[in-house]
Amino acid sequence: MAATRSGPTERTRTSERAATIRRQHAREEARRRNLWVTLGVLAVLGIVVTAGFLVQVSRDTTGQASTPPAGAVATYGVPLGKDTAPVTVTIYEDFMCPVCGDLEAATRAWLPRYAAQGKVRVIYRPVAFLNRMSNGTEYSTRAANAYAVVLDEAGPDAAATFHDLLFEHQPRENTTGLSSDHLVDLAVQAGAAESVARAGIERRTYEQWVVNGTDDASRHGGVTGTPTVAVDGKRLPALIPVELARRLRESVDSALRG
Amino acid sequence: MLRLGLLARAVVGVVWVVAGCLKLPDPTENVRAVRAYRLLPEAVVPTMGHLLPIIEVVVGACLLLGLLTRLMAVISAVLLVSFIVGISWAWARGLEIECGCFGGGGPAAGASDKYPWEIARDAGLLLLAALAARRPSTPFALDNRLYSRTVPEAVR
Repeated sequence: MAATRSGPTERTRTSERAATIRRQHAREEARRRNLWVTLGVLAVLGIVVTAGFLVQVSRDTTGQASTPPAGAVATYGVPLGKDTAPVTVTIYEDFMCPVCGDLEAATRAWLPRYAAQGKVRVIYRPVAFLNRMSNGTEYSTRAANAYAVVLDEAGPDAAATFHDLLFEHQPRENTTGLSSDHLVDLAVQAGAAESVARAGIERRTYEQWVVNGTDDASRHGGVTGTPTVAVDGKRLPALIPVELARRLRESVDSALRG
Repeated sequence: MLRLGLLARAVVGVVWVVAGCLKLPDPTENVRAVRAYRLLPEAVVPTMGHLLPIIEVVVGACLLLGLLTRLMAVISAVLLVSFIVGISWAWARGLEIECGCFGGGGPAAGASDKYPWEIARDAGLLLLAALAARRPSTPFALDNRLYSRTVPEAVR
């Protein structure tokens, strides 16, 4: 019988074909499962990224309403000297920035004198660029807030004194910075009433003003580092402090002559 | 070759996680660092500043876990190419800014001296990312547990 003769090979062929089809099915099944795994993982990652992004956005309070301290100039500036002075010097500073401290030391001998003589008006723009540098205590923000507290409470002269005290007691980078108590002491030394200074410093009354002033400097002033110095709105190049101080004095003197 | 793929994804993963974590504490700083490049329109600068550290941490963690390894390696390569473009742009325009690669950012005197090294570093990482994309099947990867084989062992 033909059927018995060709039987075994026929059966083998059929079972091979069946096995191939089974393998194909298994592969397709695995592919489908893998696709679902990919989609599932992507969905989870999408949720993680979105959540993280929203947390970062919520931690950035930039642009929320803020109240400037009384005596602030052009919203975010702290003035030194008369507004009738012929030359305006704008200095963007971070109280944590060591180069700013060096610049202060290099201009201390003449800039305050020029301001007192009515030759220049200095507009200090406190910014908080270096909050990362104070072991999580946000010294840049705290110091700038305290500066605003003193300006609001005791006026520009006290603020100028406080500004100089902050640089004389400038903490090193990657330390916790001056404590609130220390800031209050300096504020009192500069002429602020202790109770008011303490409340403003501990509650960070002007924190949002500092955040917005920092953003304004970066966004509209194009300032992304400190110190940045401008004479009558004209930016000086980034130089090492001693040269920057010399260039500043030359620019001021030439503006006074012209 | 399996070992090389593992090494590649581990190195790139660690760099992303470290770089991302260092940027997380101060969101405003990242926004300023992105702005300092003067490359993107202001409308997208804050979004980029907030999103980038998160993406770095997530991509880095996935590479370390061996999760969607090939996709994450490709995303790494795309990010690294854009960073190289960014630094080259700053260099070409004569901007003196810190790259902000590991936090920080903004202008710094003599920052441009570091551009060649930063580009070389990113190019090296790009090479590793490409390697990880070519050899996504590595030991100690979550992918091995999650995915079933669709190709017989011998053909791989």
